Amino acid sequence: MGNLFTALNSAGQALQAFQAAIDVTQSNVTNANSPGYANQVAVMQSSDDASGTGQSVGVTEQTVDSRNQYAETAVQQQVSLLGEYQQLQTSLAPLQTVFDVSSSSAIPSALNQLFQSFSNWSTQPNDATAQASVISAAQQTGAAFQQAAAQLATITSSTDASMQSTVAQINQDAAQIQQYNEQVSSVGSSNPGLQAQLYSALQDLSSQADVQVLPGNGETVTVLLGGQTPLVIGNQLNTLQVANDPSSTQNGPPNVEILDSTGADVTNLVTSGSLYGLLTVRNNILPSLGGGGTQVGGLNTLAQSLAATVNNLLAQGSTTSSPPYQAGQPLFTYNPASPGGVAASLSVNSAITPSQLAATDPGPPTVSNGIALQLAGLDSAQGGQINGLGFTQYFGTLSASVGNAANNANTSATAQAQLVTQAENLRQQLSGVSIDEQAINLVQLQSSYQAVSRVVNIVDQLTQSLMNMVQ
Amino acid sequence: MAIPTQLSECMPDPIAPGTAREHLHAAKTGMRQVKQLLAQPSVENADQSATLLREVEVQLGCVAAMLRNNGTQPDAEFRSALEELQAEVAVLARFLAEGDKLLSGWLQAVQARRGGYTQRGQAAPLVLVNKLTVEG
Repeated sequence: MGNLFTALNSAGQALQAFQAAIDVTQSNVTNANSPGYANQVAVMQSSDDASGTGQSVGVTEQTVDSRNQYAETAVQQQVSLLGEYQQLQTSLAPLQTVFDVSSSSAIPSALNQLFQSFSNWSTQPNDATAQASVISAAQQTGAAFQQAAAQLATITSSTDASMQSTVAQINQDAAQIQQYNEQVSSVGSSNPGLQAQLYSALQDLSSQADVQVLPGNGETVTVLLGGQTPLVIGNQLNTLQVANDPSSTQNGPPNVEILDSTGADVTNLVTSGSLYGLLTVRNNILPSLGGGGTQVGGLNTLAQSLAATVNNLLAQGSTTSSPPYQAGQPLFTYNPASPGGVAASLSVNSAITPSQLAATDPGPPTVSNGIALQLAGLDSAQGGQINGLGFTQYFGTLSASVGNAANNANTSATAQAQLVTQAENLRQQLSGVSIDEQAINLVQLQSSYQAVSRVVNIVDQLTQSLMNMVQ
Repeated sequence: MAIPTQLSECMPDPIAPGTAREHLHAAKTGMRQVKQLLAQPSVENADQSATLLREVEVQLGCVAAMLRNNGTQPDAEFRSALEELQAEVAVLARFLAEGDKLLSGWLQAVQARRGGYTQRGQAAPLVLVNKLTVEG
């Protein structure tokens, strides 16, 4: 049995404990809408007699952060993927305009007019108007390729600018986390307000790149990029920068790489987040279309193949339909020294006149419109011109690849936005429950999702059958 | 609930009868409800989603039966609605696949915390029954 002083002390402790609990509730209410804030829980526990009798002599309060590290990590991972898909969605939208397959868009329309003009010329090989139409259509074709190349260059520049601003944002978030570590180190402990700032910065950082958060000394945190390169350790900050890859300058704009503060290449450590989306567009998608890095680019392949095939046929022909035969002049010119810049340099040979177009195939047998006929049939020739495809078909495959990538990004971004909501809701539900309870809930939920997934597969098959029925 | 293959299986239902367009609309409404339910993750919501999806199956089965019976090609608006539904199904399939990964990852983290790692470096299997009493 304690004495009077013990009883008074016990009552005092209890009052302090309940006051602390009220403070916690007030803090939770005040910060209900603060980004990154996690509910604090007041845990009441009995306080043993200091004299070692084992008797309970009062109540003490200990504030426990209901934040759950697994839940935080899960949300950060989903946010990181959402950042990637949303970035792809944004970056691919202007590419769809360049690679629009509809007949009114620049390149398909120009190709159509060019082959139409060859066809008209083949019916009247000596007609000056038909010859002039061929040159005019060729000029439009060159202009269409140049315009597409210029649009791709603009998209490349804007992607570079986005990459710079994304890396700047990553460095800014990392600096905020470093400041948190400094404050925690100087004060000796964290508080809910500081933690809210930390988790808000971490969530923003996650949307830019995939980062892992590890506990550091005391209550500080260590933030790693791709699980390897530290962005923040204690009060040390490792800033990132964007640079050109000097080993990839063969075909137009070089690829870009991400360097850490020591100059080490950490590009491969970026595997999700908006920075990854930008890197994918800048180092893979754009070079595959317009050239750059080590890739020639589909647009340049198309331009080069078209110009070379047309010029080659004209060189085999003759401007006169009887001997002495006069070889034709090339219709197109381009810079052959820069395979990644053919589309940008494609234009009509400035020296050519309509009468220098060679319509005659000297044979034998001589066919007065033989070359013009071959030119007219180039796009639909059996065996194709590029990888077994005609020129228009090849442009269609480029268009389809952009369309599929954009479609996939749209689907993924929509699904991912829902996943982030789900992960945030799960974080809220499972924060504060025991590990066993979490495990049980997760197992049950996973099993239910798998059941739903099976039904969705059937619905998917049914929808596909319906699509086939209405085609 | 079996998927209707014949028109007669759709018509007797006093709730379901209607044109193919109405069945398609009902299927789309069902899909939207499923998406809303799954954003709030719980076993109950997942179960309810499965039930709703089976109704979507029935509606789509009716659409197919009516199209077969009708013989005429539906208009562009119908095809567009069907394409929208297909896109929604694709999103849902993607969501569930990624959701499965999310839950698996989370569960592995919990398993590792609860039981450590196996000799192969994998998260230890979860044993949630700590005590067992055998009588008799």
